[in-house]
Amino acid sequence: MSFLGAAAQPARRRTELGLVLLVGLVTVGAVTLASLGKVGEPPAGLLALSGVMVALLLAAHLAVRKLAPTADPVILPVALLLNGLGYTMISRLDSELAALQAVWTAVGVAAFVGTLWLVRRARDLERYRYSFLALGLVLLLLPLVPGLGRNINGARIWIRLGPIGFQPGELAKIVLAIFFASYLVERRELLADRIRLGPLRLPRPRLRVLLPLLVAWGVSIVVMVAERDLGSSLLFFGLFIGLLWLATGQPVYLIGGGALFALAASVAYQMFSHVQTRVEVWLDPWPTAQGKGYQIVQSMFAFGSGGVTGTGLALGSPQRIPAVATDFIFAAIGEELGLLGTTAVLIAFVLLIGSGLRIALRVDHPFEKLLAAGLTLVLGLQAFIIIAGITRVVPLTGITLPFVSYGGSSLVANFILIALLLRISDQHGPST
Amino acid sequence: MDVQIRRLGIALLVLFGLLFAQLNNLQFRQAGRLSNDPRNTRAIVVDFSRERGRILAADGTVLADSIPTDDTLKRLRRYPGGSLYAPVLGYFSFNYGSDGVERAFSAELAGRKVTINSLDDLLSATPKTNDVTLTIQPAVQQAAAQALGNRRGAVVALDPRTGAVLAMVSFPSFDPNPLASHDLKAVQRAWNGYQADPAKPMLPRPYRERYSPGSTFKIVTASAAIGGRPDLATKTYPTLRALDLKGTSRDLPNFGGSSCGGQLPELLRVSCNTGFGQLGLDLGGQALRDEALSFGWGERPPFDLPAPATSFFPPLAELRTEPQVATSAIGQLDVSASPLQMALVSCAVANGGTILEPHVLASVTDAQGQVVRTAEPKVWKQPMSAGDAAQLKDLMVSVVQRGTAGRAAVPGSQVAAKTGTAQTTGDNAHAWITAFAPAEAPRVAVAVIVESQPGVSEATGGTIAAPIAQAVLKAALA
Repeated sequence: MSFLGAAAQPARRRTELGLVLLVGLVTVGAVTLASLGKVGEPPAGLLALSGVMVALLLAAHLAVRKLAPTADPVILPVALLLNGLGYTMISRLDSELAALQAVWTAVGVAAFVGTLWLVRRARDLERYRYSFLALGLVLLLLPLVPGLGRNINGARIWIRLGPIGFQPGELAKIVLAIFFASYLVERRELLADRIRLGPLRLPRPRLRVLLPLLVAWGVSIVVMVAERDLGSSLLFFGLFIGLLWLATGQPVYLIGGGALFALAASVAYQMFSHVQTRVEVWLDPWPTAQGKGYQIVQSMFAFGSGGVTGTGLALGSPQRIPAVATDFIFAAIGEELGLLGTTAVLIAFVLLIGSGLRIALRVDHPFEKLLAAGLTLVLGLQAFIIIAGITRVVPLTGITLPFVSYGGSSLVANFILIALLLRISDQHGPST
Repeated sequence: MDVQIRRLGIALLVLFGLLFAQLNNLQFRQAGRLSNDPRNTRAIVVDFSRERGRILAADGTVLADSIPTDDTLKRLRRYPGGSLYAPVLGYFSFNYGSDGVERAFSAELAGRKVTINSLDDLLSATPKTNDVTLTIQPAVQQAAAQALGNRRGAVVALDPRTGAVLAMVSFPSFDPNPLASHDLKAVQRAWNGYQADPAKPMLPRPYRERYSPGSTFKIVTASAAIGGRPDLATKTYPTLRALDLKGTSRDLPNFGGSSCGGQLPELLRVSCNTGFGQLGLDLGGQALRDEALSFGWGERPPFDLPAPATSFFPPLAELRTEPQVATSAIGQLDVSASPLQMALVSCAVANGGTILEPHVLASVTDAQGQVVRTAEPKVWKQPMSAGDAAQLKDLMVSVVQRGTAGRAAVPGSQVAAKTGTAQTTGDNAHAWITAFAPAEAPRVAVAVIVESQPGVSEATGGTIAAPIAQAVLKAALA
């Protein structure tokens, strides 16, 4: 199990420390520039803010040093950089949201540390497979409980407990990734069992084999229909199908999944006007630039007005894009930091994906391997779905941009996600 | 599983490559188009809350200024002249962007284009707004608006020596003040009202609308003969009531069933359709089209206001038959021209055969009153030689002295002109005139169109449009 010499351990943590401090410097600098652009003076309490920020960054780093000393050194700094960039944009858009985002970041880092502390070996999670399944389904369906769930912007994906609102779906994607990884690792031989049908080799059509596919499809449809959350629905389905294929290597699951997706999508298009609207404004938003197409047209304008170098932090007007702090934050980055800024964000996600998949390749334990790949898939797919949506590559399905968008649930969930990736990558960790 | 993981990596890389390609498309390839889209009001929001310079007429009259307010938009744009100058100034609206001078010189007014004269300019953080002075003369503008009155149409007057626009009137017009309001609901109401009006008050007719030029186009046909076929300029055309054309049962008649004929001066003086129809056939489609293009047809005029209309002359493919050539030669069928273009035709004759680039900008001055930019006269077209222009000028003088444009005559000054009547639908016709004065040393050229006047006769241009031209010429020469 040793793919790293023990001597490499301090070097990895030194790299991480250097990168983390660099992230702190960049974030403090960016927040200062944004404030200068907005009100012409440095942010109030810059010193205190920097102090808290550096403390958070160091806390995360020290936790890794203590709890997962040989873990990957790139994932945490890149995630924190995206988080810092997102915080900068939010602070420039809405100072109240920024304060909340800062609190959520602290909660996220706490969740990160907590996950590393609680989960000492990722493979131990396999044991609680069905508890995770139950938890995942409960989380997904929680917003549908009357009195608890809330409709916000037409989607029923929120629950409210006292003053705190939360999107349980964000956590569900991790919990269900764990369940599916363990379920599929156990059954992959069975699922890969094929029969010959003329020139074709198809999976043996057994209910036990088809069941997971149908469950995945069913869950996605429930999310889409009952909660009207197209983005999450697409994400869940992509995750399930992706994991099935990763575990079995059977392209037929991709084909079958694609067919089921096409079927569900075309039925949804027939049935729901909001789906039709999304497709309509994706194909051509210009005739309805003042109406249904307003959001996506404003997003196009933001990217175009930003050009290559951007207007500079707080010098553009991205606030005219509805939902700019959440779904459309990438458009705000496009306007104020230009093509250079958006490319940097893409590279950051590619780095995260690369690191995640490298972990999956290097680890031997099949469950951990599949889980690492699955978690990476979720992260990459989510980033792709929302960026592609607001740049009109695919129809828009509202979802957060991991680490960058405003939103506590998303932030906490994604910190837990990278904590799990780091845990898997730490093959010299303290064994308990 | 490793094989699949590697493939997953490649797949995700491809997806992100796709995003990178689209970002390059949006932020580099289409960036200019997207950021300049009139529906993209980003630039205007920035401009809206910052100081903005004044727009002044040639004599210093304030046409637009901004006063401080205590709401979030900080400054309110005002247009003391109301609808009178709107065809030139355009509008400046939070909801709907801008047009006219407000759009064309927005960067100068907002101080986004600053000429760096000293280190102080470079270091100072506050944007320095500029005042924009126009070539518009309020006396001429008022005279034109008054003479046009409540008739739908357009008037444009230029100095042929420089291309400077002295007046530009459109009726109906609109008041830009409500569009500049900070009450965005009121702005929307005003905008919707203007847009719903079938009379199109927001259309700056002088430079953005095209009409059939009718007989005013005969100047161009005459120029083709004088410059290219001297034999035709001296040819005597038979006196006819109607010109028999091959390939159609419909002849080309003179207005009101009158008979006319003779040599070119006589044909132009009475605006003889049969004579000019035959002259067009003698010249041929190619020569006619070349002449129109040399005057600026088929090309967007280099005007300094946004989106000037391109005047149209049919391509050769649509000039194959006799009726097509003959009717095009008298400015009918598909030939169209903006009032600005017809004024530029007069400019060419007035200015020794040379058309200068039309412009409304006189100069840009900075906050200290220093002139930072002046509009320099630039040659646009040279359709005629000076000699040919002088010859054509004499013909146009006789149109006023003894022809259809008698009512354009100004006491104490020799006026040259050509009227036109362009039949539209039924018994309605556009009344046209294009003129300049004084003939010996022209200082002003004018084009007038009054839309859809009842009665189709060659006199329509002379009775309706000529008095308006006279009033404008008189005001400009005073």
